[in-house]
Amino acid sequence: MNKAMEIFRKHTMKIVLVLIVIFFSVMTKGQMFAASSFQALIAQNAYVFILATGMLMCMLTGGNIDLSVGSFVCFIGAIGGHMMVRGGMSVPLAMLLMVGAGVIYGVVEGFLIAYINIPPWIATLAGYLAFRGWGTALLNGATIAPMPDGFSKMFNGSIPDLFGGAGLNITCLLVGVIACVLFVILQLKSRNDKVKKGYEAESMSGVIVRCVLVSAVILLFAFKLAQAGGIPNNLIWVAVIVLIYNFITSKTTIGRYFYTIGGNVEATRLSGIDTKKIFFLAYLNMAVLTVISGWMTMARLSAATPTAGTNYEMDAISACVVGGVSAYGGSGTVFGMVVGATLIGVINLGMSLMGIDANWQKVVKGVVLLAAVVFEIMNNKEKTKD
Amino acid sequence: MEKTNVSVFLRKYTMIIALVLVVIFFSITTEGKILFPQNINNLISQNAYVFVLATGMLLCILTGGNIDLSVGSVVCFAGAVGAMMMDKNVNVVAAVLAMLVIGILIGMWQGFWIAYVKVPPFIATLAGMYAFRGLSNAVLQGMTVSIKSDAFIKVFGGGADCYVPDLFGGEGFNMTCMIAGCIAVVVLVAMQLKSRINNKSRGYETAPLGSTVVKLVVISAVILWISYKLSSHKGIPTALIWILLVLLVYGYLTTKTRIGRYLYAVGGNEKATRLSGINTKKVYFIAYVNMGFLAALAGILTIARLTSSQPTYGQGYEMDAIGACFIGGASAYGGVGSVAGVVIGATLMGVINQGMSIMGMDANYQKVVKGLVLLIAVAFDVLSKREKK
Repeated sequence: MNKAMEIFRKHTMKIVLVLIVIFFSVMTKGQMFAASSFQALIAQNAYVFILATGMLMCMLTGGNIDLSVGSFVCFIGAIGGHMMVRGGMSVPLAMLLMVGAGVIYGVVEGFLIAYINIPPWIATLAGYLAFRGWGTALLNGATIAPMPDGFSKMFNGSIPDLFGGAGLNITCLLVGVIACVLFVILQLKSRNDKVKKGYEAESMSGVIVRCVLVSAVILLFAFKLAQAGGIPNNLIWVAVIVLIYNFITSKTTIGRYFYTIGGNVEATRLSGIDTKKIFFLAYLNMAVLTVISGWMTMARLSAATPTAGTNYEMDAISACVVGGVSAYGGSGTVFGMVVGATLIGVINLGMSLMGIDANWQKVVKGVVLLAAVVFEIMNNKEKTKD
Repeated sequence: MEKTNVSVFLRKYTMIIALVLVVIFFSITTEGKILFPQNINNLISQNAYVFVLATGMLLCILTGGNIDLSVGSVVCFAGAVGAMMMDKNVNVVAAVLAMLVIGILIGMWQGFWIAYVKVPPFIATLAGMYAFRGLSNAVLQGMTVSIKSDAFIKVFGGGADCYVPDLFGGEGFNMTCMIAGCIAVVVLVAMQLKSRINNKSRGYETAPLGSTVVKLVVISAVILWISYKLSSHKGIPTALIWILLVLLVYGYLTTKTRIGRYLYAVGGNEKATRLSGINTKKVYFIAYVNMGFLAALAGILTIARLTSSQPTYGQGYEMDAIGACFIGGASAYGGVGSVAGVVIGATLMGVINQGMSIMGMDANYQKVVKGLVLLIAVAFDVLSKREKK
C-alpha cells in the first residue's frame, strides 16, 4: 500500500499527463491521436520546451522567474523582421545579431538582478512592459512577412527521408529505434555502475518497466511522426537543448551550484561560491534561449507580429511548476520540465482541437498553473511530515 | 557638516524633487499645456485608478514586497460584470455592491492561496491575471458595453460633467472648490501644530520649528495652487473625492491602527512577528482581500470615467500601481512605505502618463518609458538602502 502511494506520488504528473491525453482523445473523438496532431504538438509547442528550460535555471536559483520572455520574443521578432525582410540582410548575420541583442538584454537584466539586487519579478516586469511596447513600436503595430525561406526552413521543415519510404519516413523510425536502444543501454549501465560502487540501486524490474514504457512512448512518437512526414526540425532543436541542459544540471559543477543556491543562498555563498555570478548566468542564459524561441515563433508564423509571444512566460512558468520544479527553488529536473511542457502542450493542442474559445483557454491555463503550484506545495508538506 | 545636511535633505526628498523636475520637464516640452487648469483636472480624473490601486498595492508590498499582478484584470472583470448588470437594468446600487463583493471574493480567493497555502504571490496573482482577463472577455463576449446610468456616472466621476457642483454659483470660478482648498490648508496646519505640541508636551523629539513652518508653507501653497487651478475649470473633480476618501482612510489605518502596524511588522520580520503571537497569515490574507476590494473600486471608477466597459480595460494598471508604490519610497523587500509616499508616487506616475499623452507620444513608447521609470525607482531604492548601511 505504502509502495503504491510512493509510486503514485513520484509519478503523479506523468499519470495526470496520461489522463489528460485520454480525456482529450475522448473529447476530440480520437483526433488527438492523429499523426498530424503529434506533428502539431511539437511544431507548435517547441517554444514552451525552450523557454521552460531557461525558466528552470532561473527557478532553481530560488523560485525566481522571468516575466519578460514573451515580450522579448516579440522584440526579437521585430528586429529580426526589420533586418531580414525589410533590410534584406543575410540570414546568418541577422540571427547572429539577434543573439547579440539577447546577450545584451541578458547582461543588463542579470546585472540588475544579481549585482544591484533588484527583485527579479520587478526587473523582468519592467522588461515585460518595455519590450512589448518597443517591439510593437518598431513594427508600427503591423506585421512584417514573409520570412526568408532559408530562415523558416531551419525550424518549420522536417528532416528528409534518406531511404525514400513511401508515406512512411524510415529515417524517423530508425532514429526512434536508436533512441530506444540508447536509452535502455544508458539505464542499464547506470544501474550497473551503481551496483558496482555499492550505491543503492533500483530493483531490476523497476528499470525494466521504465525502459519498456519510455521505449513505447518514443516508438509511438517515432511512428506517428514518420506518418506525418518525418522528424520536425524543431524537435532537433528541442532535443539538443534539453539534452545539453540535462547534462549541465545533473553532471557539471556549475549545474549543481544552481541547486545549492536555491536550497540555501547564504550557505552557498559562505562556501565560497560566487552566488551573484550564478544569478547573473541564469538570466543571461534565459535571454539567449528566449532568442531561440523567438526564432521558432517567427518561423512558425513566417512573420513578426506585435502580439507574438503573448503569455509565453505563463506557459514556461507553468511547464516548470507542473513538471515539479519548486516555486521556492532548489529542486526540479530537466526531464520533469519536459513532462510539464508536454502537458502544457497537450492542453494547448487539445483545447484548440476542441475549438475552445481563446478566453476560456486563458482561464484554464491560469487554473492549471495555480493547481500545479498548490499540488507541489501540498506534496512537499506531506513529504516533510513523513 | 553643511554637506551632510544637504545630502540628507536630498535623500529624504528625492522623489519630491524628481516630481518637481518632471513637472518642469513636461511644462517645457508641452509649452506649459500640462499646467492648464483643464489638464490638472484631467490628471486627477484620469489617474484616479492609480491612487486607489497603489494604496491597495502598498499594503501588499508592506507585508514583504509581495505584489498583486492581477489587479489590471480584476479591474476589468469587476467593471465588466457591473456594466453587464447595469445593461440588463439591474439597480445601480445593487450593481455597485455586486462589483465590490466580487472584488472581495477575488481577494479572498487569492489571499487564501497566498496566506494559508503559501503559494508565492507572484504566481498566484499571475494565474489570476490570465484567468480574470479571460473571464472578462467571456463576460463581455469581446464587445464594448456602454453605461447608460447617469447616476452611476455622476457619482463615480465620469462623463463630461464629472465635477462637484458649485454651491455659490461663481461665474467661471468655482468658489466651493477654492473654499474647500482653504479649509484643507487650515485643517492641515492645525493638525500639524497640534501633533507638534503633543509631542513636545510628552517630551518626544520634535523637528525644528523652522522646518515645520517651511514644510507647512510649501504644502499649503501646493494645495491652494491646485484649488485655484481646479476652480478656474469647473471645480472639484468627483474622482478627487473618492481618492481623498481612500487616502485618508488608509492613511489612518496604516499609521494609527493595530492592523496597520502589523502590516509593517510582518514586512520587517515575519518570523519575529509570528512569534510575538500575531496571526501573520491573517495579515497576508487581509492585505489581499483589501487589494481585491480596492481593485473593484478602481474598476468602478474606470468604467464610470470611460462610460463603458471593454475587455481591454485595466491592461498595465498593475504596473502603474507597483510603480507608484516604489517611486513613493515603498521597499521592494517590505516593511517600509507610507500612504503619503504613494501620493507622491502616484502623482508622478500620473504626470508622466499625462505629459506623454499631451506630447502625443506613441502609446508603445509610453510603455517603454513606464518600464524604465519602474526600474529606476526600484534601483534607486535598493542602492540608497545599501548606502545607508
